Amino acid sequence: MSTANEDQVSRRRFEREKAARQEAERLLEEKSRALYLANEKLNAYSEELEKAVLERTADMRRALQKAEAAAATRSRFLATMSHEIRTPLGGLLGMIDLVYGDETNPETREYLEYAKTSGQALKRIVNDVLDFSKMEAGAFQFENEKVDIRALISSVVGLAGGNLGSGESRIRESISSSVPKLFLGDATRIRQVISNLVSNAVRYSTDGPIEVRAFSTRHEKGALLRVELEDHGIGISPELEETLFKDFSQIQNRLTAAAQGTGLGLAISKQIIEGINGTIGVDSVLEEGSTFWFEIPVEVIESVPSKTTGKSDLSKADRRSVAGVRILLAEDNPINQKLILTFLKRMKAEVELAENGAVAVRKFAPNTFDLLLMDVAMPEMDGLEAIRTLRELYPAEDIPPIVLLTAHVMEAIHQESKGVGVARVLSKPISYDDLEAGISEVLELHQSETPSTRGVEAPSPAKADVIDMMSADVAKQLLDAMPKADLLAIVEEFISDSRRLLGEILAHQNNQNAALVAQSAHSLKGSSGSLGFPRISDAAKEIEGGITELSSERISQLCQAIHDDLSLLDQAFGKQA
Amino acid sequence: MKGVVFVELLSMAESAFGEDVVDNVLDKADLENGGAYTTVGNYPCEELVKIVQAFSDHSGLSPEVLQRKFGHWMMEFFAQHYGGFFEGKEGSLEMLEAVDGEIHVEVRKLYPDAELPRFDARRVNDTELELLYSSPRPLVEFCHGLIEACVDRFGESGSIDIDPTVKPGNKNSTMFNIKLNEQ
Repeated sequence: MSTANEDQVSRRRFEREKAARQEAERLLEEKSRALYLANEKLNAYSEELEKAVLERTADMRRALQKAEAAAATRSRFLATMSHEIRTPLGGLLGMIDLVYGDETNPETREYLEYAKTSGQALKRIVNDVLDFSKMEAGAFQFENEKVDIRALISSVVGLAGGNLGSGESRIRESISSSVPKLFLGDATRIRQVISNLVSNAVRYSTDGPIEVRAFSTRHEKGALLRVELEDHGIGISPELEETLFKDFSQIQNRLTAAAQGTGLGLAISKQIIEGINGTIGVDSVLEEGSTFWFEIPVEVIESVPSKTTGKSDLSKADRRSVAGVRILLAEDNPINQKLILTFLKRMKAEVELAENGAVAVRKFAPNTFDLLLMDVAMPEMDGLEAIRTLRELYPAEDIPPIVLLTAHVMEAIHQESKGVGVARVLSKPISYDDLEAGISEVLELHQSETPSTRGVEAPSPAKADVIDMMSADVAKQLLDAMPKADLLAIVEEFISDSRRLLGEILAHQNNQNAALVAQSAHSLKGSSGSLGFPRISDAAKEIEGGITELSSERISQLCQAIHDDLSLLDQAFGKQA
Repeated sequence: MKGVVFVELLSMAESAFGEDVVDNVLDKADLENGGAYTTVGNYPCEELVKIVQAFSDHSGLSPEVLQRKFGHWMMEFFAQHYGGFFEGKEGSLEMLEAVDGEIHVEVRKLYPDAELPRFDARRVNDTELELLYSSPRPLVEFCHGLIEACVDRFGESGSIDIDPTVKPGNKNSTMFNIKLNEQ
């Protein structure tokens, strides 16, 4: 091999290399094209996928909205239906109560008892369904009111004991002195849970004692209240314990005939207890009995129970009597009027009826009533509005405790009622016992809060001052015409009449009824003018004359001025303002 | 068969016998594309067998010996161009174990249609490895050479035996038994 040969590349070698290079380039182009196409395909896929995801998401959103709407409709339907059923049912049960009370024939009384039992079972079911639908809609809200757990347990036990029919109650109460006398909580809901547990115990155990125990231990929030309910019934197997607190679950047993119900009770109880940050559970031995319990953290108001004996008051026999209590009842529905009036009369309460809120405001006067019983939905002026008006007109200590009666299913009412200051909300339809217990508990609480003000007549005033507050010439004229005592009586009447008119003005103003505002203002202007209270009559005159032009702030100012003057007069009469 | 194998085989032949010899041999051999190969192409395996046979005829060395030498050559080529695969490997056995799981995975990324042989490795102990080579191609000795070169590369020594009794299920499989000497 020559050196020249080593430097030069032969033709065939060159051709071979060239062929190889062309082949390489061809392959490269082919690969690039393949890569490009693959990329295109990938992009198309990704776009398609994105579109599919968007479509699917939209589909799902639509489906969700549809499902939510359906659920909302169903909840609303259930709530409305339950509400609509509750009202006539309440009427029925109430009337049965009344007839039963008057009936002397034992056979008829027995039939009535059956009717009542069935009605109550129906009512329980309707209430359960209503609660359940509220629960599902997430509309459960909780109150923070004063709870006397002793009174509460006693009244639940009293009612359940009465249901046994055997006379002697087999339910024992044992409430530890560690349990605070008063704490903050939702009395209605706690009562509902206890009542549910008690009625389960009664239904699922034919004999043997049932014991309600309560005690409390320290807790960061104040106290941890534990309530236990032990029965000696059929017991629950461990497998069933798990499903027990779920919806519609019910233990099958030889007492099934007696144990009817929706099976919602425990699910609702669980929801309630968990809603107030508590826990609920059961310890049970099959064929031996069960102990249901719940624990809730509570804020203690008054820790030491008044009676350390453990056994507490307010069971049916010795709860505070409603007899002689003066009650202003505002209720528009004629059947409910009849029912509640009869109930209250049977309790020997003195009742004054107002057909709506406006009438109630007019009929109200300080020191005339011990309790206001107020319906919520009423024509002309509803219960809440009436309460607000009263609160504007009178100082707080002149207004007795207020009990709200409502058939409203919306928890919003409870919320609103808290804003205006209501001692208790009782839901309609209400039974005789619930009404009596409710009123009695409220009175008890009110009395313990204000120990000495009730029932004491206002001390005799230095009434001369009142005359000084009238414009001198008018006072002189009037004193010439009548004895001073008569004049004072007239002024006193004027004050209460003026408050009524002021209430009307505020109410009409709220309803934006200018004509009626002017009418009431006119009336106030006249009476205050002729008795010589120029400031009041001027304010009333301004309201009457300028009702269409005045801003609502100005009207509020004027009303406040009138209110202040009336309070001054009250002070002159020796009443506290 | 990947073009790189053909290109490297010819490189080896050139370094051993000179360019003119290679050109003559290629001209005489009955090859589809006249012996023009590129690394990025794919060519039938029979061509490779033909080329090896042609050089065997020319040199008097058996095709098996040539294959084995070519194995050593290719290992050198791999180490030069794909040194990354050798990094972090403690010894030849670890390297051989990684052929299927690491190296062939990378090959497929570049050449999804590559027809790769399989290497099923079973570690007997620290110094012994059973490597089952499965391929429809008659390149056992090429493979043998690669394994030898791999052991050498890691500065190790030992025996590499072909177990003639083991033909599990597939006549295209060969069992290599690699035993390293204790160091």
